[in-house]
Amino acid sequence: MARVPIEEGFFRIPDDPGEPPRLLGSRCPTCGEVFFPRRFVCAQCLHEGTDDVELSTRGRLWTWTYSHVPMFGKVDASVPGYGVGQIDLPEGPRVQSILLGGPDDFEIGMEMEIDLEVLRENTDGDEVVIYRFRPVAGAEGSA
Amino acid sequence: MRRGLRFEGVAVAGIGMIRFGMMKDRPAVHLARDAGLLALHDAGMTLADIDEAFVAYITPGSMLGVKAMKELGLTGLPVNHTENASATGLVAFRDAAWAVASGRADVAMAIGFDKFTDMVGGGGGGSARDRIDAPILPAAYFALWAQRRMHERGTSVETFAKIAAKNWNYGAACPTAHRQTDHVVTAEEVLASRPVADPLTTMMCCPPDDGAACVILAREDLVRSRQPGRRIVRPLASALQSESYSRGHTFVGPVVGPSTMTSDTARECYEAAGIGPEDVHVAYCHDAFVNEELEYYELLGFCAEGEGDRLVADGETGPGGRIPFNTDGGLIARGHPGGPTGLAQIHECVQQLRGDATGRQVEGARVALAHLVGGGSVCTVNLLDAVD
Repeated sequence: MARVPIEEGFFRIPDDPGEPPRLLGSRCPTCGEVFFPRRFVCAQCLHEGTDDVELSTRGRLWTWTYSHVPMFGKVDASVPGYGVGQIDLPEGPRVQSILLGGPDDFEIGMEMEIDLEVLRENTDGDEVVIYRFRPVAGAEGSA
Repeated sequence: MRRGLRFEGVAVAGIGMIRFGMMKDRPAVHLARDAGLLALHDAGMTLADIDEAFVAYITPGSMLGVKAMKELGLTGLPVNHTENASATGLVAFRDAAWAVASGRADVAMAIGFDKFTDMVGGGGGGSARDRIDAPILPAAYFALWAQRRMHERGTSVETFAKIAAKNWNYGAACPTAHRQTDHVVTAEEVLASRPVADPLTTMMCCPPDDGAACVILAREDLVRSRQPGRRIVRPLASALQSESYSRGHTFVGPVVGPSTMTSDTARECYEAAGIGPEDVHVAYCHDAFVNEELEYYELLGFCAEGEGDRLVADGETGPGGRIPFNTDGGLIARGHPGGPTGLAQIHECVQQLRGDATGRQVEGARVALAHLVGGGSVCTVNLLDAVD
């Protein structure tokens, strides 16, 4: 059974199921600023044309919340609650993501790692996946 | 590169709005008609007097703006559409004021209408689930900001609850507010309401709303001659921004970007008006989620960074305070249908500056500020004053 991304161009799924996914970013060849997701015009210096880069699989939790209401009203009522956070990656981008874990598992500043979650099976029998972040085992918060 | 707009010789001719709420069985264009007629009556005008209209709505629907205007009459006037998410109504106000200030219109109407009841659930359909940035509720986005505030400044949830209670209680005194309680709301009641996204509870969040609101602007000399003896309220200045890039900008997901957008936009507006926050007597902000209001006390310049909590503790933004905020209940209690929201803010600004805000009047109010952010994101800050 193959794994396919919910939307093309945002992350790469390694062939090895034990490997974490990689977020696809851009680096400006002029000013060096790094972005997620990919973009053509540098948002900092307006240079046209950027280089593709793959981003780190770990980062620090900048902020988080735990949402008690189902995703988007009643559409996904099967989901009881979920964490939402923003993770600062070492290359610079701050990435917003749904978090894996319970309401008491998160702390600002803690180390997070990326993972894939299977959302559903599509009509071809493939698993549709999206990236999520989860606390690194044993991670603790810091400023 | 950017600068705020200063309006010369423009005054409010009329205002009108219907009470916001859930009106599932009423077509959006009928809501617009009712608000538009109220504003025309307040101005002593008919649609024949309007040179140009600026229509504000965010509900998807092609041609809706023109159809809504036809409910008021078919005079051939140009109809401009504006959409800037939650900020839509204030941007229509700004555009109408500029149309008059620039001389292209003698009288311009800004009219907003929306039906959130038509949108609920619609954005979360099958296709939306297949997007990388869906589906997270706006409450969660703003809760992220609240958590950061609590971490950096030690803000307590009780402070958030006090602001929400203030707005609920202001709403009870405003006839056009959606939420009107029969008792005084306490911070304890707010805290005990159902959790939405930590630390936000339902009573700290705006309700879904339907509604419509309208503001008519005209050359100041026309308003003076048509409305002798009435206090004149004028748009003074306006600023509008989209996001500027800075490190930490999050491209996928958030509804609203860096908080500096509000402080930058406010500075441009104050500079265009030639006044400062110390000259403002009453203010309205995007309190869709209560922690926003605390941040905007600081970002709009009413206190120093980190001093917002003290302002709340001292009651400075409530009745009798130094700078009352959201005297119609704000988005939390007056409601937040989308397009009409900013025009409802102007409706309340004008009532305050005319001295007509019974039960919630800010004594001696002569200058008012209206601020909104909109998803995408944008920010607009607008100043109005009153002259005899």
